[in-house]
Amino acid sequence: MPGGYVGKILRVDLSGEKTSSEDLNLQWARLFIGGKGLGAKYLYEEAKPGADPLSPDNVLILMTGPLLGTTAPCVPKYAIYTKSPLTGAFLDSYIGGYLGAELKFAGFDAVIIKGKAEKPVYLWISDGKAEIRDAKDLWGLDIHEAEKRIKEKLEDKEVKVAAIGPAGENLVKTACITIDTYRQAGRGGGGAVMGSKNLKAIAVRGHQGVSVPDIEEFIKLSKEITKNDVLTEDNLWAKTDGTPSFLQMVQEGGILPTRNFQMGVFEYANKIDGDAVKKILVRRRACYGCPLGCSSLTQVKEGPFAGTVIEGPDYETLALGGSNCYINDIGAIAKYNLLCDKLGLDVISTGDAIAFAMECYEKGLITKEDTNGLELTFGNVEAYIEMPNLIAYRKAIGDVLAEGVRKAAEKIGKGSDRFAVQVKGLEYPGYEPRGSIGMALAYATSDRGACHMRAWPVNDEVFGDMDPFTTEGKAQLVIDGQDLYCAKWTLVVCDFYAIGYENIARLASAATGWKLTVDDMKVIGERISNLVRMFNVREGFTRKNDTLPYRIANDPLQGGKADGHVVKPADFNKMLDEYYRLRGWDKEGRPTKEKLKELNLI
Amino acid sequence: MKLEIFPEKCTGCWLCAAVCSARLAGEFNPSKSAVYVESLLPDKLVIRPYVCIQCDEHPCVESCPVEAIVEDKELGIYVVDKELCTGCGACVEVCPYNGLRLDPVGNYAIKCDVCRGKPRCVEMCPEEVLK
Repeated sequence: MPGGYVGKILRVDLSGEKTSSEDLNLQWARLFIGGKGLGAKYLYEEAKPGADPLSPDNVLILMTGPLLGTTAPCVPKYAIYTKSPLTGAFLDSYIGGYLGAELKFAGFDAVIIKGKAEKPVYLWISDGKAEIRDAKDLWGLDIHEAEKRIKEKLEDKEVKVAAIGPAGENLVKTACITIDTYRQAGRGGGGAVMGSKNLKAIAVRGHQGVSVPDIEEFIKLSKEITKNDVLTEDNLWAKTDGTPSFLQMVQEGGILPTRNFQMGVFEYANKIDGDAVKKILVRRRACYGCPLGCSSLTQVKEGPFAGTVIEGPDYETLALGGSNCYINDIGAIAKYNLLCDKLGLDVISTGDAIAFAMECYEKGLITKEDTNGLELTFGNVEAYIEMPNLIAYRKAIGDVLAEGVRKAAEKIGKGSDRFAVQVKGLEYPGYEPRGSIGMALAYATSDRGACHMRAWPVNDEVFGDMDPFTTEGKAQLVIDGQDLYCAKWTLVVCDFYAIGYENIARLASAATGWKLTVDDMKVIGERISNLVRMFNVREGFTRKNDTLPYRIANDPLQGGKADGHVVKPADFNKMLDEYYRLRGWDKEGRPTKEKLKELNLI
Repeated sequence: MKLEIFPEKCTGCWLCAAVCSARLAGEFNPSKSAVYVESLLPDKLVIRPYVCIQCDEHPCVESCPVEAIVEDKELGIYVVDKELCTGCGACVEVCPYNGLRLDPVGNYAIKCDVCRGKPRCVEMCPEEVLK
């Protein structure tokens, strides 16, 4: 067997209350390596086309990769793969923390979950075995409480837990899965998929090892890469400042989502930026195997939210839960972060949903009757801080917002779809494309809907030398970014290590023993991009779903460097045409037979 | 030779344990490492490693019923003789520093031997928590 893998997959049939173990498909592993590649392959082969994401037919996969559990720098991640209840499309969501490594120490590279339990259960995986256990007394608990209870029940504080909160139980479409207290598979509603299966949590503990062909050489390589490619200028911001430091850079670029994407700058940015987070910092925290340790453990020191302890807030929370809702109180944002974490809500989509509802309220499309009496205006902390509870428990307007902004706009009507900022149903994250036009294409063509972690032209357009307002070269930029991310998510390296193909290939080769070259990894990246697109095409997604939100195309951005700009539909379509052509896809965005043959996909 | 721990800087990355287990067990397996990282989150914002600090009082030596913790004169420290150790856990219980652990399957105690002079965890730690 190649190194890095532990060689087994755990299968869980919740309907039949059965678990079994089987060998990892090594032929697929050679073609797709791990993470995103293998996750997408298993999902593509095992998902029933057209299945309702919240039905027992949907498949939920946890996938690790061959580097997880080793000393390879910045590889704590593993991911869930499923069909999203928010978008109906492919969903992958990456999580740090420790559970992924623990799963390998427990003897499994992956877990494939199908069916639906009759009553609430949790899954207990330890040292090559798995059990489906009763979770009646855990159902209804917030995530932190549930995790604590599980550790007590199993009498081992080293157990790693992935759990859902009330939001996932109530099938909120933006519900996340929280792992190791503070890390989330945030986007796309994975928590609702677990909820629909009556699966409250997955607990993992293992004492087995991960082997590689030459462990001394592997450690040497890990150290060399850490020194020469991780602890360098490209990545050190993560160690010294973490993601909150983005806020001022994004503000300066004029692309900070503000007032539900009406503005590109926030007048109170200095109250919620990197320095504001540093003022409440207690200590830094790392995921498994990470020399960067980007996370901030913080404690609010003053004001109405004094005492709030949280890992964060990270940039996306500050942007979508902060400026986008016009909130300028760092304590309130930390509290919002904690509420979302405990209830099991995606901080990005939830921030967008609150901002959307605030605009609806200010425009008179919804009233106090809808909001449980809350004065839901931009910047009103009292109303803002109540919203996560309303959404998680589906109360009042929260029940509408629990479906995501696309569906909420359908329900509210009155033209509110014009400011529901999403693609395929997934809400926009924290980078405004009117000041970074490549992002419009990146969001439109990202496999899981509007996502900043499938390609990130901001780096070239706002922080680099590329013109942020012209279409030239943007299609290729997005394709290159997406394919590199696919290769990266396959191994599964953290986003904050800006790894290139060369070190991806070196680490993958050293772990598996296969001789993988830079070119191999490039092909694998492109192969995965196409496989995922095949999944979405099979679910009915084509060009009509690769969209530019109305607001981005029509409402001039207010303030900052991109003041007055829109992304013109003609420009957008030009980029999209070029993107499909360069991808080898037809005009409707479907991969051609020739392309799929070239990539060994048919 | 002794290890010193500066716990306030620990981020909980476990790289110390990963690299330690590679030497002790020939595989990456933190449960077979001589270093153990404790996290008390979310109740307390405490993360810290535990490892034998080669204390002067060494109650582990006296607690061992089979005299398996023996002095390595060359290094001037006490180490576990795996052949003699029965895995009874007395040393683990008695250590006031949480410095020893039991191997999960091998039935013996794991005690740091400072890699016989060049501790790998010290080299690997990105935060200089171990010195």
